[in-house]
Amino acid sequence: MSRLNPKRMLLGAVFAALMTGGALAQDRELVIAQGIDTPGFDIHNHSTSAVEAIHVNIFDYLVMRDQAGELQPALATDWEQVSDSAMRFHLREGVLFHDGTTMTAEDVKFSLERPALDPAVLQHSFYDTITEVEVVNDHEIIIHTDGPDPILLNRISRIGSGIVPKAYVDEVGWEGFSQKPIGTGPFKVVEWLRDDRIIMEGFDEHWRGAPAWDRLIHRTIPEASTRVGELISGGVDIATNIPSQDRDRVEGSGIAHAVPWPSFRVMQLFLNTKDDSPLADPKVREAIDLAIDNQMLIDTVTNGLGTPVRAAVTPGLSAVPMAYYDTYNFDPERAVQLLEEAGYGPNELQLKLQGPAGRYPLDVETLEIVAVMLNAVGIQTEIETLEWSAYESRVWTPNTIDGIALIGHANSLQDGYHAVQRARCGFEFSLKTGWCNEEFDKLIEQSAATVDPEERAQQISDAFDLFVASNTVLHLFQVENLIGVSTSVDWSPSPDEQLWMYDAQPQ
Amino acid sequence: MTNYIIRRILQMIPVLFGVTLLVFLLLRVSGDPVQLMLGEDATAEQVAQLRAAMGLDRPLHVQYISYMSDLLRGDFGTSIRYNNQPALQVVLERLPATAQLAGMALLVAIVISLPAAIIAAYWRGRIPDYIASFLSVLGQAMPSFWFGIMLILVFGITLSWLPVSGQDQPGAVILPGLALGASLAGVLTRLLRSSLLEVMNQDFIRTARAKGLHPRTIIFRHVLRNSILSYLTVIGLETAALMAGAVVTEQVFAWPGIGLLVIQAINFRDMAVVQAVIILSAIIVMMTSLIVDILYSLIDPRIQHG
Repeated sequence: MSRLNPKRMLLGAVFAALMTGGALAQDRELVIAQGIDTPGFDIHNHSTSAVEAIHVNIFDYLVMRDQAGELQPALATDWEQVSDSAMRFHLREGVLFHDGTTMTAEDVKFSLERPALDPAVLQHSFYDTITEVEVVNDHEIIIHTDGPDPILLNRISRIGSGIVPKAYVDEVGWEGFSQKPIGTGPFKVVEWLRDDRIIMEGFDEHWRGAPAWDRLIHRTIPEASTRVGELISGGVDIATNIPSQDRDRVEGSGIAHAVPWPSFRVMQLFLNTKDDSPLADPKVREAIDLAIDNQMLIDTVTNGLGTPVRAAVTPGLSAVPMAYYDTYNFDPERAVQLLEEAGYGPNELQLKLQGPAGRYPLDVETLEIVAVMLNAVGIQTEIETLEWSAYESRVWTPNTIDGIALIGHANSLQDGYHAVQRARCGFEFSLKTGWCNEEFDKLIEQSAATVDPEERAQQISDAFDLFVASNTVLHLFQVENLIGVSTSVDWSPSPDEQLWMYDAQPQ
Repeated sequence: MTNYIIRRILQMIPVLFGVTLLVFLLLRVSGDPVQLMLGEDATAEQVAQLRAAMGLDRPLHVQYISYMSDLLRGDFGTSIRYNNQPALQVVLERLPATAQLAGMALLVAIVISLPAAIIAAYWRGRIPDYIASFLSVLGQAMPSFWFGIMLILVFGITLSWLPVSGQDQPGAVILPGLALGASLAGVLTRLLRSSLLEVMNQDFIRTARAKGLHPRTIIFRHVLRNSILSYLTVIGLETAALMAGAVVTEQVFAWPGIGLLVIQAINFRDMAVVQAVIILSAIIVMMTSLIVDILYSLIDPRIQHG
């Protein structure tokens, strides 16, 4: 579908007509462009969702999320809990790897035990509840965990849970595999040119059936304006992270649309309540929450891309109280009143706003608008932004926020527990904000051992309520990116940030 | 001459040593890669664990000594951005793309600057001179980032004559070559123009004119030949700079050369790759300047190296 050069098409048509005596056949090619390259195909050794977005086309999981974010059978056809700490999976029969060998339970054991048991791989901490993958027979396994693990299915449907062929990895090693991978997915890797392109071919023997495309090309184009240029000149069919200011240009081209692409990332303000900070007063924190007009922030900074939230909840996550989604508190008059009650007249309270520059789209602008909104209720602000790694090493990791700090958190386990568990006393969030709440800690710990989904969701929801009411972390909005999709491709992005191209159809 | 060459090569050793130390320190001071690798989602425990596994928790001097002892054995370390591939291999595989772009940029620069400078010098103080001088200042003054995007807009998108980006399609090197060559053409035109003018004012040219030689013969046989030395020197040194990668141009055109590699490596704090690129660049620059100096003495016997 890429570059439709009239001259080349004509030549191609003449050539094809000569070769086939009139029957015209053209390769169906789909080209995707992203700003980053894959680090390789060692699926256990990266933690980037944009990389996973491409890998899903090459490797299958046991269970996979559908467009609605619901878990669906993939390489496992069904599963059941056999005890509090064990789950049985029946594997799909007749699944072939790209090299023609058949997938067996041994491959599954091999693929899942590496992140679970090898602390040296980057994905280990997301799999370390798994103690063993027991092979029952060629098409049945039991995953044993170190206790009840209510989010086991979340773990094995994300980064690092692709199934790879044991025999091939044994032969070439992980280094070799990372260069020339083999999976069971609908596309197989033919060639990888670093920082340039990954060339994939449709895998005709794929268990879902052959994909609609002969070739899938993933191009690395770091510069956003160049990505847009390729999209509107027909050079690529799908381009991620289109700047919001280019939206009209893409729509106006007539050959592509700029489609909102919601992410799991939520922009948040962390309030340091430690020591003698004025933020130790709950009234001051509530005033800040009430002073921020989340919707106006979204409209001003991102041209309306994003959804206001009161907690780190987004569609597609399990066990999250969605009441906090698409809502916000804004009452500047009450904010002024609360500040007065706390003993601060107009412009008597001074606060610093810290944040990274260039880590997230429009991060500095976000802080600037927040500062304006705080000024409007009589809070004096000073903005300090740093390049990401300086911010990370001087402010974020050492837990030395001076006032208020901006961060964007995604949710790599796609579950509510992961969104709040680090607010427990002594954990990362609490070390930054200074907030500790025994009841909250108890709820989180109970939820970690509760297998019943409803009971667990209630516990997590109650924990969310306490956390949100503390106003120690103020949630601003869910980040929505723009993805450019050519009018010649029928495909809609899913809520889990994946570029699942098996669903894409030519049109 | 041989002594001179040996002395120059020996002089490179302390320079290279200084380069490694500087790069090593700057990279460590500006932050470490662990949080970038793990993302905001990581727990403090994960960060500490990975930092230890990568040896980044050791004192700086211990890290530097271990880095240097590996380097002396030819081991540049492994890339963290590219799943532990050898850093040197990751860098070397980019050389052909960078060489191709550098060649194109040089070609553009020479094809533009040579005639432009001659025209400007020949019609000094007249309209062709003003036009050539204006264009050469423009070439130098335009940010290559902006010029690159303009080229893409006009030739890639509006006219669809050339590929917008990447390396694989025929003609893909033309736009980045133009973007990169334009400013070099500006420098070279101005340089050659002034050295042509200098030579044209000398006595032997006046003699040649008085003898009634054809102006074309005077320009090409006498003036150009005597002005070309500084032109060639700058081309030589610019070639070295181009081989170190054109960061902005490669980024704009998604050209998979060394410039794109190094900017991505810096963003990811891929220390081994950044170090390898800078050490190789330093070697290329020093070797080129040595070669230029040697060629100098061959072209112009008045220059002697004792």
